[in-house]
Amino acid sequence: MGRILIQAFLLIALFFGAYNMFRQVDWVNLFEIRQTADKTEKKLGDMLWTIFRKSDREVKDKLLTQSLDSILVKLCDRNDISKESIKLHILEKDEVNAFALPDGHLIIYTGLIAVCENPEELAGVMAHELAHIELDHVMKKLVKEIGLSVLVSMTTGSGGGEIAREVARTLSSSAFDRKQEKEADIAAVDYMATADIDPKPFGEFLYRLGGKNGRMSEYLSWLSTHPDSRERGEYIIGYAEEKSYEAKPVLGGETWSRIKGELAEE
Amino acid sequence: MIAVRPFPYKPGDHEKEKASNSYLMSLIALIAGLPLPIVNLIATFFFYLGNRNGTYFVRWHCIQALLSQLSLLFMNSYGFWWTISILFRDGQVTNDYIAYMITIAMFNLVDFAATIYTAIQTRKGRHVEWLFYGDLTNRLVRPVR
Repeated sequence: MGRILIQAFLLIALFFGAYNMFRQVDWVNLFEIRQTADKTEKKLGDMLWTIFRKSDREVKDKLLTQSLDSILVKLCDRNDISKESIKLHILEKDEVNAFALPDGHLIIYTGLIAVCENPEELAGVMAHELAHIELDHVMKKLVKEIGLSVLVSMTTGSGGGEIAREVARTLSSSAFDRKQEKEADIAAVDYMATADIDPKPFGEFLYRLGGKNGRMSEYLSWLSTHPDSRERGEYIIGYAEEKSYEAKPVLGGETWSRIKGELAEE
Repeated sequence: MIAVRPFPYKPGDHEKEKASNSYLMSLIALIAGLPLPIVNLIATFFFYLGNRNGTYFVRWHCIQALLSQLSLLFMNSYGFWWTISILFRDGQVTNDYIAYMITIAMFNLVDFAATIYTAIQTRKGRHVEWLFYGDLTNRLVRPVR
């Protein structure tokens, strides 16, 4: 029996020894897997953004774009996120929605900006979507729901436009899983605290939206893709209280009033 | 790793063929059911069931073929589900995954070569014992007294 055990041990040691040895090699770089994955993500991102750009009008107004860009710069700079990797787009649409696409495309509808009561709430939503991008949730979600082979075939030309539209719909109107949402919430609070933006309004925003019902809720797409908003609002506020930060206004009061004024006019 | 050992008696032609077939069975099933790692195990298991009342030489080699497939089953199943999770969940090919796939490919290849070699030797009536599996089979299979 002892002999058999020694031989079994020898085989197991051989297996794990070989495995450990092969693990030392950086295969991902050797086979250029990362580069290929990045290329696929870039193509997917461009493809999906084209779909949204065609269906809705992109807002080019300087006040809006520059203001949102300044919030994004604040969030990125203090959190060591490359601003160049994030492509911020504002689309004119009443729907209360914001979402991330592959390759760092962050889309915000004017409807969402309109329901924010202060710029910190908007910064919270942006930080949350930024977290989805930084934590690679977007590609993980697509692989899970669409499948890697379909995504690759889409970018290599054999996939039809119908699949691309389905992917676009998945990203703009279906939720990430609870674990990923919580991760993004926590990361958003961290990003905001590091950038000296008060994260509590973000929690309050979720809490407030969670209380909406009836006709109004039809427009709250962001709410339907982010369930349990009240509960989440509560733990975001709880988590924010544990953080230390020096809350500074993310946008000037006057700028915010002008943005709200412009949106109300439209 | 593999050794030709003396066997208590000289197997007949019919026995040699059956014993050799038990290895061939696992090879054919391996090729036929490549993506699903369990097919070769099931095939060798049914081959054993069909020959469990066979002679000592036949039973011995059926069991060795079966056992060698069993450890491959664990390795390959893990690799199989890891691949599935990459395709449908994570989408992340990591260094660990590639290292694991290379390792199991290597073990499968060694097993493949050893199986062919053993099938040929057994057909010639030579008794081939594998490291670990040979001793384990000796404990499990006894000659009928």
